Amino acid sequence: MRFHELHLGEVMDERAFTAEDLARACGRQTHWVHERVEAGVLQVELETGEWRFDSATLVRARRIARLESSFDADPQLAALTADLIEEVAQLRRQLRLSGGG
Amino acid sequence: MEFKDYYKILGVEKAATEQDIKKAYRKLARKYHPDVSKEADAPARMAEVNEANAVLSDPEKRAAYDELGRQPHGRPGQDFRPPPNWDAGFEFTDGAGSEGDAEFSDFFAQMFGRAARGQRAQARSGPMPPMRGDDHHAKIELELLDTYQGAERTISLRGAHLDDAGHVVHDERQLSVKIPKGVREGQHIRLAGRGGAGFGGGAAGDLLLEVVFKPDARWRAEGRDVYQRVPLAPWEAVLGGAVEVATPTGAAEVTVPAGWKPGRKLRLKGRGIPGAEPGDLYLELEIALPPADSDAARAAYAALRQAFPDFDARRAQGA
Repeated sequence: MRFHELHLGEVMDERAFTAEDLARACGRQTHWVHERVEAGVLQVELETGEWRFDSATLVRARRIARLESSFDADPQLAALTADLIEEVAQLRRQLRLSGGG
Repeated sequence: MEFKDYYKILGVEKAATEQDIKKAYRKLARKYHPDVSKEADAPARMAEVNEANAVLSDPEKRAAYDELGRQPHGRPGQDFRPPPNWDAGFEFTDGAGSEGDAEFSDFFAQMFGRAARGQRAQARSGPMPPMRGDDHHAKIELELLDTYQGAERTISLRGAHLDDAGHVVHDERQLSVKIPKGVREGQHIRLAGRGGAGFGGGAAGDLLLEVVFKPDARWRAEGRDVYQRVPLAPWEAVLGGAVEVATPTGAAEVTVPAGWKPGRKLRLKGRGIPGAEPGDLYLELEIALPPADSDAARAAYAALRQAFPDFDARRAQGA
């Protein structure tokens, strides 16, 4: 066991992830990411002509992949569910900050 | 290895149709899916339900599993050793969603998982080509101050890896991680090569830690900016003046402008989360009333009432 070995973490910046990174994180093929970007389900940024994704999109993509496979869901429906989950999380956060939850 | 009763886990009969299985799975997924469930043991239950579904929803795996159930000791809870060549005649396809293997039981991994696929492929066509290990994902909870000062955190991770013979070994490991300054909520910290082990000489995957901040009554972060509630005495709020505030970067003297406005914020530029483009710190001003816990204090409130005979708080607030 290496209890005392200190690992240096690399902070992933706003455009840190490639389409391949996203696909691997979701257990999918790269074309799965391409299809969802083209359908407007996942947000992409361009860096020197290459698609790049931020941390929030990585989390969203993993959520959509899970929803699609768990519920055999249409990608648009999974994206809508992900939107609602994100909105509920945001509202719960606001509720907590206002002392109501 | 314990035999898993997948029919019981999904709550369906052995004669269940594909539709029955789909329906039962959706019902349980709605209950235990980590994205929608509030049950305490949701992740563990969902992993079990996913595992059962992965086998029973796939006709080839289900047929092989049913065959296994007819073997001696193919009973729930009993120590189970599969007979040799139990899967002869069943061809499993490596469908999507194999990311879940690491969360599945020993039973699944040995029978249907990547280890089993590797062994079968090896038996049929010689050594496997190198496969990169899976990336592992976990959350790391930090204090907001950790991002101002940098920190070291020891995290415990439960996982599984394949040994040289392709068997799944469950392990719990601790990692000491240096948290760099300036990390923001929702960002990932990558530890290269600390994910799942590779197979057949392939490289290990990465460990990706998603940063979340612990709720703190003093302050909260929104991206690079930080918001802090600053209570003021009524006279500080109205008359203005210098007040001392304990900010995340230490004590700061702040000048409060005279004249109270509800919802007023003061911005301290560059005092938010540090970085090449540091965020700002917003002080959200609030009024705190002194307690009327003595005759002198009550007399002071009474004097205030006398000083403002025409003040109507409801009208002033637009109520």
